[in-house]
Amino acid sequence: MTVLSESAIEYLLAFADDEHLMGQRYTEWIGVAPFLEEDLALASIGQDELGHAAMLYAIVAGDDDSAIDRLALLRDADDYRSSWLVEAEFPGWEHTLVRHWLYDAAEELRWELVSGSTVPGLAAAAERAGREESYHRRHADALVDALLGVPESAERLQNALTEVLPLALGLFEAVDGEAMAISEGVATAPFESRRSLWQARVAARFNGTDLGRLPAPDQDRRRRRSPDFAPLMARMREVYNLDPSAVW
Amino acid sequence: MTRSSSSTAGLADAVNKAVAGVDDPEYPGVSIVDLGLVERVDVTGNGRASIGLVPTFSGCPALDVIAADVRDAASAVTGVTSVDVHWLASPIWSSDRITARARKALADRFTVAVGNDDEAATCPRCGESTVEQSTFGPSRCRAIHRCSGCAEVVEVLRA
Repeated sequence: MTVLSESAIEYLLAFADDEHLMGQRYTEWIGVAPFLEEDLALASIGQDELGHAAMLYAIVAGDDDSAIDRLALLRDADDYRSSWLVEAEFPGWEHTLVRHWLYDAAEELRWELVSGSTVPGLAAAAERAGREESYHRRHADALVDALLGVPESAERLQNALTEVLPLALGLFEAVDGEAMAISEGVATAPFESRRSLWQARVAARFNGTDLGRLPAPDQDRRRRRSPDFAPLMARMREVYNLDPSAVW
Repeated sequence: MTRSSSSTAGLADAVNKAVAGVDDPEYPGVSIVDLGLVERVDVTGNGRASIGLVPTFSGCPALDVIAADVRDAASAVTGVTSVDVHWLASPIWSSDRITARARKALADRFTVAVGNDDEAATCPRCGESTVEQSTFGPSRCRAIHRCSGCAEVVEVLRA
């Protein structure tokens, strides 16, 4: 296994943590989504995001399952680098759909930044994830497209967008050492450098959204956990804690 | 060819045959080799087998089961002293890797059609084209279609 620098590890963990918690949030809709096809879609999309997280954790920890589990589930809260967007517990379906669209639009750009990475396995992971993500974007886009055509749905989506956008901006916040990681060839450019492209796509999708008035992203959120993190992690560890020595 | 290399080749054949005997957990009777999941099988002179597999998609929950089945099958071959099974980061699996034999078995026994990136598929029952009903079906790698001819529900296996 290649020895990665602290900066590279920090960069990869932020990405992996986002994918991991995003995947977990999708799985919460299994059985309670508004219609059957959504149950299936969110289960599958969540499975993909968990798979992406596993690939990224494996690049840091090697293929040993228990090492991956330790990274994914057993770090101290302060050691996670997730964005507040994926930690957030949302009240409604419309928030979930808006987050789905915003997150996957950003994720596409994020994988592109590492598609030529010098970190062993990362470019291949980007290619694999890139194929899978095209299904996610098509799914989110088709639903948003249909619902924006219905006045009540459109209003609810726009209201959700107003609430979710400030959190989504936090996705682009750099972890400590991002510049160093880029100089080492982990990625080609800062994630922040793709934010204007992402915002243009958001504006084109959600007509009439005034992105010029967006608040500046809060700083240092990736180093602090939101209030929704602790209950989420407690649920994720629930089964694991029954018997940490169990082999699945 | 020396005696030892010919016996290595014989052992490699036996390991290949054993791996080809492993079925996909979702499709009993359909070999993982025919589904394109096996990329390479290497056997050294002292009986060490190394098998590289390609996952259909990164979050597939069947990966551990498949790897364990492959390990068991290869370990059972006389002359094999150790088995290493690993999932490869590349190449990337696509439905192009599925052989004609597996396509026929999937169609005949499971009413499953094989799709590709443009989502076109043919009904295994009547040969008419299918129309997608749900991008995501009973598992991550299967969409739900309906046949435009006989109206049968068709699962479409795709990347």
